[in-house]
Amino acid sequence: MLAIGLSRANDREDRNRLSNLEQTAATIALARPDDASRTRETRSNGKVLGNATLQALSWLIPVVIVVLWEALAQAGWLSPQVLPAPSKIVRTAIKLTTSGSLLNDLGVSLLRAMAGFAIGGSIGFVLGVLVGFSRLAEAVIDRSVQMIRAVPFLAVLPLVIVWLGVGEAEKIFLVALGVAFPIYINTTLGIRQVDPRLLELGRVQGLSTLQLIRRIILPGALPSILTGIRYALATAWLALVVAETIGAQSGIGFLAMDAREFLRTDVIVLTIVIYALIGVAADTIARWLERRLLAWHPNYGAAR
Amino acid sequence: MTFQFSRPLQSSAAPAVVVNGLRRAYGDRIVIDNLDLRIERGEFVALLGESGCGKTTLLRALAGLDPIQGGRIAAPRRPAVVFQEHRLLPWDTLWRNVSLGLNLPDARGRAAAALAEVGLGDRLDDWPRNLSGGQAQRVALARALVQQPELLLLDEPFAALDALTRIRMHQLVRELVAKHRPGVLLVTHDVDEAIALADRILVMRDGRIAFEHRTDHTGKVARTDLLAELGVFATHALV
Repeated sequence: MLAIGLSRANDREDRNRLSNLEQTAATIALARPDDASRTRETRSNGKVLGNATLQALSWLIPVVIVVLWEALAQAGWLSPQVLPAPSKIVRTAIKLTTSGSLLNDLGVSLLRAMAGFAIGGSIGFVLGVLVGFSRLAEAVIDRSVQMIRAVPFLAVLPLVIVWLGVGEAEKIFLVALGVAFPIYINTTLGIRQVDPRLLELGRVQGLSTLQLIRRIILPGALPSILTGIRYALATAWLALVVAETIGAQSGIGFLAMDAREFLRTDVIVLTIVIYALIGVAADTIARWLERRLLAWHPNYGAAR
Repeated sequence: MTFQFSRPLQSSAAPAVVVNGLRRAYGDRIVIDNLDLRIERGEFVALLGESGCGKTTLLRALAGLDPIQGGRIAAPRRPAVVFQEHRLLPWDTLWRNVSLGLNLPDARGRAAAALAEVGLGDRLDDWPRNLSGGQAQRVALARALVQQPELLLLDEPFAALDALTRIRMHQLVRELVAKHRPGVLLVTHDVDEAIALADRILVMRDGRIAFEHRTDHTGKVARTDLLAELGVFATHALV
């Protein structure tokens, strides 16, 4: 692990050196604008295109697709039954929001996701910490968890419906089930992967077991735990879509199934877009957490 | 295991560590056999030896990192250790690293003083990843000295550094040891490093101390003798 760390450090130095070289090259190019070959060299390594330009460029294809979609719909080449125009979907969104039902359904869905995430995440984290620290806990717990994990969690849905009906409990249970495993696995893995030489240092410095956990083991496991959280957020959302599609009386999934009954393609597409947006939001939160908590890590944050 | 950290002894003549009849074995293989060693406070001892002669094993036993199979180690207090790798916690700032395990008031102030001693007094809130190899090892040295150890164990701490940085580190270590006066045991494979730093040089062979030499830091005669003890009969050696 340290070898990797060292080579990363070297990479960083190399990159710094490279960027110094680039700067030097740029300075020379500025000083001698007539030297065409040098100017081309500087341009070819992408420095001329700033980050803002690249950021804007990355939006080019999505924007073109939406514009094209709108144009085709307006021209009547796309049937509104198959795929309504983006402008129509926006109007539907506004109408449903002002009538109040959309926000209500959105709130219900988010609440389910958060409740399931909190329950499943806590269980996964506690079990992961136990198994990560103790060989005994691993012997007792790990095989059972791995066996349950081998079952695709959506496959147990019919059984869950028999047990819990199609109410809130069923939906929250399914989300919790999907969330628990990625958190469990990554927590265990993170704790196991803490550099044994740092643990040894902790002993040399006279840390108590509690200090060892707080100062060395948990921070060392944190990158892995956060990876687990990111996976879990995606799984939570997937579980919710499936759970809400079956026998819900409210929520985004209910909105979609209800719209299907009346062939309201615009509402169906709107719910898909909402699922996508919330997925992006969840990922953004997870990344923000990584940047904040892993500011020290060369592969994440940008702390100085 | 009879390893113990007894109460600090008040006399300035008190030894930093006394080892009697130490025995260390991995299964049937005996690595250290009936070894005696005494290091005074303020004394700088270098331990030379070929790879696998048991010198790092001895240091780890003194640090209390490994169990021993016989004999007795008496040290007044927990020793401080600097390893070959800096072992800084990448998630903690420099002052947090230096004060790791320091259960005293004003940890930040003490860490700041220790960092100032190694020339990094302006980098308290910086991160380990922004340090060069030599700087990181200086922080590791500050982390060891902030504990005010009576015994300082150095496990090839300069081996991974480039030649110039190593020379600077030698000077720094000499100054700091002269100031804080802990007993020092330096494990190294570098004869010249041992001559430059140590008051006393031990050569370890087959789990015992096979040769002992008090240096005058000039190293003229010692170098050839020490190399011979290490099994190197250099005909092209530097004079």
